[in-house]
Amino acid sequence: MRHDFLNGLSSVEAEQALSLGTRVIVPSETSLFKLGDTADRLFLVERGRIKLTLPMWVRGREENIFVEERCPGQAVGWSALIPPYRFTLTATATLHDAEVTALPREALLKHFAANPVGGYKIALNLAVVIGHRLQLFQTMWLREMQRTVESRSA
Amino acid sequence: MRRYNMLLTGLLMIGAGVYLFFARPQILSLGFDELAGPFLWCVGIAVACAAVPLLVLRTPVPPTGFFTDNVAKPPAMPSRQMPMEVLLLQIENHVRLEQAAAESFLKFPTHDQLHSKTPSPFVN
Repeated sequence: MRHDFLNGLSSVEAEQALSLGTRVIVPSETSLFKLGDTADRLFLVERGRIKLTLPMWVRGREENIFVEERCPGQAVGWSALIPPYRFTLTATATLHDAEVTALPREALLKHFAANPVGGYKIALNLAVVIGHRLQLFQTMWLREMQRTVESRSA
Repeated sequence: MRRYNMLLTGLLMIGAGVYLFFARPQILSLGFDELAGPFLWCVGIAVACAAVPLLVLRTPVPPTGFFTDNVAKPPAMPSRQMPMEVLLLQIENHVRLEQAAAESFLKFPTHDQLHSKTPSPFVN
């Protein structure tokens, strides 16, 4: 399995980074983490799918609304590397069990300090993930704003 | 007991009509007896006749009020709103379509791609 987060690393470097983590099974419909939880681990999806949701009021009831889905090879929970280290979404396994590699922040930071070149590549990969999310939601926000403006000025 | 009120009223009217017509009480004028007696008699028969089918056809309703456990619940009205699960699925579908449209824009950033329409019911 090739992870986006480990792009550009040699297989040895990637193995070293992965050896810092532990495999975790996330049963179907179970939360991996919840909005507001302390983010001390980054997760790499190995199997299954992880759904990311945000709470929204629907008909007077709080519902977890789908935001995006992470597939095998993708990373979840980069809040673990970004202050204030709190998850900003809720992550739940979809209809099937999922399996992730949980990488603790402390172990990753130590690894980066000991292997700055590998750490730099991983930081760039992280920037790609964050940048893509930013561009995606910026576009979605603009589309929504456009519709709001159209409906208000109609 | 309320179910029998209409029937009792009809029977009472018949009884009052018969009494007025045949007994002719001294305190009432003769003309009044002759008019009011048959009138009450006829209306009483009509009320009693109308009460019978109502008694037969009406389903008993448990008494309602304070301090009773048998409070009659209003019948469940079929909701015109779509079920919550369907609405949530529609929202999820809308988000997926919007993401796909945003991804297309990021791959080929043009004005048309940015404002492309999706088939989502939330925007149509």
